[in-house]
Amino acid sequence: MNRNELVGVEAARPARFRWGEWPVRVGLLALLVALPFIPPFNREDMLRWLIGAALIAAQAIAFDFTAGYINVVNFGFAAFVGLGGYTSTLLAVRLGLSPWLGMFAGAAVAALVGFFTGALTLRLRGIFAAVMAWFVGLALLGLTRNLTDLTRGALGLNAPTLLATADNRPYYFIIVAMMVLTYLALWRVIRSHIGLAFRAIGQNLDAARASGVDPTRYRVINFTLSCAFAGWLGGFYAHYYGILTPDVMATSHTVEVLAVAYIGGRGSLWGGALVAFPFIFFVEWMRTNLVELPGLHLVIYGLLLILVMVYYPGGLAELIRWAGRRLRRLER
Amino acid sequence: MTTAKNLRSVPLARRLLSATWITVGLAVVVTLLVSLRYPIILVNSLVTGGMWALMAAGLALVFGVMNIPNFAHGEFFMVGTLVAYYVFTPIHKMLLKNPSPLLSVVAPFAGILLAGVVGAVVGLTIEFLLFRQLRRRSKEQWVMNTFLLTAGLSVILINGTQLIWGTEFKGIPRYWEVRPLVLLGVSLSVDRVVVFGIALVTILAFWLFMRRSSLGRAMRAVAQDEVGAQLMGIDLNLVHMLTLGLSSALAALSGASLLFMFPSYPTVGLKPLYVAWYVVILAGLGNVEGAIAGGFIVALLQTLTSYFIGVGWEDVVPTALIILILLFKPSGLFGSEVKGIWEQ
Repeated sequence: MNRNELVGVEAARPARFRWGEWPVRVGLLALLVALPFIPPFNREDMLRWLIGAALIAAQAIAFDFTAGYINVVNFGFAAFVGLGGYTSTLLAVRLGLSPWLGMFAGAAVAALVGFFTGALTLRLRGIFAAVMAWFVGLALLGLTRNLTDLTRGALGLNAPTLLATADNRPYYFIIVAMMVLTYLALWRVIRSHIGLAFRAIGQNLDAARASGVDPTRYRVINFTLSCAFAGWLGGFYAHYYGILTPDVMATSHTVEVLAVAYIGGRGSLWGGALVAFPFIFFVEWMRTNLVELPGLHLVIYGLLLILVMVYYPGGLAELIRWAGRRLRRLER
Repeated sequence: MTTAKNLRSVPLARRLLSATWITVGLAVVVTLLVSLRYPIILVNSLVTGGMWALMAAGLALVFGVMNIPNFAHGEFFMVGTLVAYYVFTPIHKMLLKNPSPLLSVVAPFAGILLAGVVGAVVGLTIEFLLFRQLRRRSKEQWVMNTFLLTAGLSVILINGTQLIWGTEFKGIPRYWEVRPLVLLGVSLSVDRVVVFGIALVTILAFWLFMRRSSLGRAMRAVAQDEVGAQLMGIDLNLVHMLTLGLSSALAALSGASLLFMFPSYPTVGLKPLYVAWYVVILAGLGNVEGAIAGGFIVALLQTLTSYFIGVGWEDVVPTALIILILLFKPSGLFGSEVKGIWEQ
């Protein structure tokens, strides 16, 4: 029990800026940039996997921002992603707005809906907020399915692509840049005094309130920001794949992001991003090579999520922190 | 917050004007008015309402006693449809060769009952393999963690079923090959009538079990105060296993009963899951009796929506209404103790 509590405190502390970690980060980023030129990964199908992985990674960062810090699981996350995608696509199709601007419009709309959802539900306990966000997601899904005049329903919309080329590599660099931006922006917030309030609320609500932190206000700020990034990434989804169906909003997509974020380690931001790459590769590999066993990759998903939740709640981030501590001790 | 105690001190007229009774009253009035012109709506809402009530009661029970918001509840429904299909279809095929009137009446009941039993076993196993392991390790943020755990469980059960039994629809046209009854000018298949009967009997049995038996009392005690119940010598492990078993048995039972409306399919539980959650949130988390009433209200809402607005809208309109109701009454219609973050 005691150890667990200590781990919890450790996990909730944001990454402090240490020069010792800097080479690792730059190295990882350099690896990400170089990856599409290294042989097995420069094939077109591998590049598509890489893009999918980076997209999931970026979503996991935005998801962990609420789940890991203020302890509210946004169960309608995929719906906010889809909302951003649909907004951007509709603006592009109907009004001819450039997808680059449309992505930000999508972020704004997702943030607006997120703000109202949060303002209504975040007064309540975590589970209530999670379930209500889920309902809002289901309602959005139902709306996109049924407003066929606007969204063509289940037929889906053809979204204009961001770039004129069919080459995957530029898209990869765009999504990696978006992922890094998402991380840096949210990390900056976590490091600020607002982030301090988030962590206080996530760890002990009563103590936070006693110290004069207004929980509802900070939770709404957090939720809105996370939804804004979800919408922004949804814009990329739409303008990369070029086809948008109501299915993007399905709860199963939320669960996918959630699983990656939690396996990566809650309250770390980078954990989910780190897990996403090997994980999505593994999943896609299974999907293409074990065609006769459809759904096996999802079973493994669920199993991993459960195992991490029960036996190692800190996830991969905690494992890496532990290894880092051991290494530093060895150096001394 | 209005607790039960100071609610009693409020005069009757004020109490009847509360949000709860306005909603319930409106539901009853709307049902009566509509059923004068469209009796089919009344019939349909009663049939599905009974089963939603069973689903929601199970969900509310698990939340009330074990504090688990079960996201995998729909998968127990799916297990029920699967078992009923694999029990009923071979018997049905055999009956086509050599008919036996008695067996053709009994066979569906056997399938439905067996589905309940299998559902209970699955529930027990999951409590033992999953929740007990987590409970032993950490009870920190229990509600949120178990919610995510059940989300993982749901993914496993859906895709595991798909791996083993494939994705084709496994449905039956009807359980009983009898001419439909005509009731209130509506032609009504016998299946629907029997299913409504099963729902009523199950609800009654469940209510009696919770109110009259010692095990039911133990479960209610644990729901009220876990530590206190333990001090009184109640075996928590037993109660937890029983609770999840009972809840999943109820879900499997409703799945099996509705097999003719919901053909078995890996993700068949999704819709019942949404609905059960609508009901439970509407009635107040953990409020079992409220969930039974809520089941009928939500079924009425859905039937009205799909009849007057269009099929496909039956998720959108009830959700919007529920969100609206909760704006005014965040603790749910029947005022169970859902606390705001202001009152931990």
